[in-house]
Amino acid sequence: MREVRNILAVVVALFVVVGSAHAADKRTTAEVCWKEGIAAYEDGDYARAVDNFERVIELGEVSADIYYNLAGAYFKLGQEYTPGVSRHFAGGELGRAVLNYHRALKLNPAMEDARYNLDIAVDHTNDTEAVPDSFIATMWIALRNTMTSNAWTVVSLVALVLTFMLVLFYLLSERMVLRKVGFFTAMACMVVVIVATALALSSRSAVVEDERAVVVCNDTTPVHASPDSASKIIRRPSQGVTVSMLRSHGDWSEVLFLDGEKGWIRSSYIEMI
Amino acid sequence: MDGEVLSLTSYNKTLAEAFNKCRKISCFVKMKTTLRLILVLVALASSWVAWGQASFTVDAPALTALGQPFRVEFSVDAEPERDSFKAPAFTGFEVLAGPSVSTGHSIQFINGKQSSSYNCTYTYVLLPSESGTFTIASASIKVDGKSYTTKPLAIEVIDEGEAESSAATERNPRQQTPESRIAKDDIVLKLLVSETDVYKGESIRAWLMLYTRVNIDSIESLDMPSFDGFWSQELSFDNTPSREQLGGRIYEAYKIKELLLSPQQSGKIVIPATIMSVLAQVVVEDKRHFDPIFGGRQVYHVSRELRTSPITINVKDFPQGAPASFNGAVGSFTMSSRMPQAELESNTADQIEVTIAGNGNLKFITAPTLILPESFEKYDTKVVDNVKLTASGTSGSITYTYPFVARSAGEFRIEPMLFSYFDPTTGEYHTLTTEPYTVKVTDDGTAAAVPMVGGYAGYGGAMRQLDRDIRFIHTGKLPSSAASMMILTPIYWLVVVVAVALFVVVYVALRKRIRDNRNIVARRMKRADKVAVQRLRMAQRSMEEGNRHAFYEEMLRAMWGYISDKFNIPVSNLTKETIREVLYRRGVSADVAEQFCEIISRSEEAQYAPSAEGDMSEVYAFAAEVISKIENVVKR
Repeated sequence: MREVRNILAVVVALFVVVGSAHAADKRTTAEVCWKEGIAAYEDGDYARAVDNFERVIELGEVSADIYYNLAGAYFKLGQEYTPGVSRHFAGGELGRAVLNYHRALKLNPAMEDARYNLDIAVDHTNDTEAVPDSFIATMWIALRNTMTSNAWTVVSLVALVLTFMLVLFYLLSERMVLRKVGFFTAMACMVVVIVATALALSSRSAVVEDERAVVVCNDTTPVHASPDSASKIIRRPSQGVTVSMLRSHGDWSEVLFLDGEKGWIRSSYIEMI
Repeated sequence: MDGEVLSLTSYNKTLAEAFNKCRKISCFVKMKTTLRLILVLVALASSWVAWGQASFTVDAPALTALGQPFRVEFSVDAEPERDSFKAPAFTGFEVLAGPSVSTGHSIQFINGKQSSSYNCTYTYVLLPSESGTFTIASASIKVDGKSYTTKPLAIEVIDEGEAESSAATERNPRQQTPESRIAKDDIVLKLLVSETDVYKGESIRAWLMLYTRVNIDSIESLDMPSFDGFWSQELSFDNTPSREQLGGRIYEAYKIKELLLSPQQSGKIVIPATIMSVLAQVVVEDKRHFDPIFGGRQVYHVSRELRTSPITINVKDFPQGAPASFNGAVGSFTMSSRMPQAELESNTADQIEVTIAGNGNLKFITAPTLILPESFEKYDTKVVDNVKLTASGTSGSITYTYPFVARSAGEFRIEPMLFSYFDPTTGEYHTLTTEPYTVKVTDDGTAAAVPMVGGYAGYGGAMRQLDRDIRFIHTGKLPSSAASMMILTPIYWLVVVVAVALFVVVYVALRKRIRDNRNIVARRMKRADKVAVQRLRMAQRSMEEGNRHAFYEEMLRAMWGYISDKFNIPVSNLTKETIREVLYRRGVSADVAEQFCEIISRSEEAQYAPSAEGDMSEVYAFAAEVISKIENVVKR
């Protein structure tokens, strides 16, 4: 019995070693692809850059920067054209660029470059303007997007510890002034704890409950009134238009546009952020 | 409904015209001698009219059947010299009659202009004696000393003996109905196409032919198929009837309709049957109802429904390897471009014109795309076409005008435009290119005022910023994978719990000190009057000793110390103003506060100034009274 257990332990240990070696190997491959992709982008070979950056993501090295670079490569690839044939973004590159900028921002909402580039990419689509939120909601989102969810979590935890320390300081000071200072700073820290926790939670739910999708089809895609290609076409969004996914039915998805219109689109034409 | 009726009458009209033309020559007015004199006089009067070249022609059917006599006419449009006509030898034919000569002369005045024509015709009636192709050699004639000859004319003689005999057996005069007088193959309708194997977009010609051996009175109805899968257009055509041989028999052939078809989809496309019904005329020699004046001829009208057989057209798709600029243009084309103005001021309009000319599906080609520099504003392309329909497809030219406005100054290069087409004759793609242009835009002085304009006209037209591009990618080392969300994870909760636990532990550990600390404050406040009383007592002792300086010092210390302890304010922070303020805030009346401050000022003054003995006890009593007053108010 003990022997069996020993053998098992050895096997498990082996798996762990091989697994970690494998992981390390993957990481090195990803690094090579990353460098290759950047070099290709600098040379203007955007198709190769796209391939390499996609490969990095396939290898599991998922970060805001890789999505940002991939989106940039897609955008540049789509902007290329043979003179006389101005079919910009003929392969759905604009849709892919928008999608990957969204993904980068999902991982790092504070990435200002991605936000700027996304704005440019969206300018090239025929996306409708979103219904503007209230001023408070806009401010709240703007504040939330200055940091990642994890940064907000750290802030809230540090503020929590600080609050406890200040409370103790308040309780232990003898002098009235120090007691007063301790009391009010503890209160302020408490507010910071509450706000930062709320922002971290809000940021988390924005990611976890994200039902947004981007149209990635290469041409104007028909959106039908019902999940049936014979039904009436109610809209033709261009690639790069962001929608909210409501539900799916067969190979159709019901989507909600930013201006409030609903319709059915083939699931293969959209990709979840 | 109206349209149908209209088109039907037009068919009938064309048919009637065709018949008339047939008879034209024979209908030519034969002049009477009475008229001739007048005409000759007029002709003499108008002899200044230059005759120029006379023409001498021969006319005979190109196709005839064995045993069927036919006419050969030699006509000259000028007065020939007497007896100068020399007929050729009619080898292969028997001359039944001729030559019979007929002459005609006509004068016309149209809008005051006079024109005259002369015609002299020599007619022979020939009977083919054997089948085969024979040539009627040249005839010659002399006009004004000049000799003219006709061109040799080939005549095909066919032997339709069997067909004729079978038809003849049917024609049993006894039990003949008018219907049975027309054999099934006496009237044939055919839809012919120029080609059955074509590329998508290539044009083919289709024409509807009516072959008949009997007289056709009229067309009752014509039901053309819808030509699904084709883009069809009607062509105008020459409706002169001809004689054609069909299955060894001779027919009069009439063209009913001619269309240009351009397939719009690949695959096998079937053109369904065309159905036409005609009214044929049958003349029956009736001996029983012989009319002494009009003869025994009875004319019957027989209705016949004719039907073409369906035709399958094999439409090939374009071969692989189409260039990117190919948009479905089929045929052969040339492209030229023009830019009238290569130098302009900013904010002024200019244009580029591109002309595509050639033969093919011009109606379906799309304008080549013009790519302008970003600071140029592009407007809608204007299209002017000059396209004609011909039997071989549409031909002509289309001119595209691309207007634009240059917004900013500088020298810009306009990339060449590409246009690709597929040539079905060679089965290859060809790409045409325009020249690249260089545009020099000079500043009109307002450039700075309009840095942003509604560019990107093709992308929705909203106001957008020009010359914006995405920022450069992030270089450097490959960042590690993004961390997962920390909040609400066990680690997060662990940190929270540890922080709370540490706080609790520290609180519990320092519980006693915290309690004491809180008590120190409370005690100090309670103690305040006691301390004051003690201090006052010390002052009393000094008073009894007669030490004025010490007394007032103790008094001041007692007064300041009392406020400091009572209200937990450091002595160093105390002034008379703060005392007044603190006392006022704690509900002590201003009078009492004023008295308190007065004691302090009196003590300060008296500390170094000599004063009456009784003063010390008075101050002492007053201070005690004020303190007890404050105590009464503050304690409550």
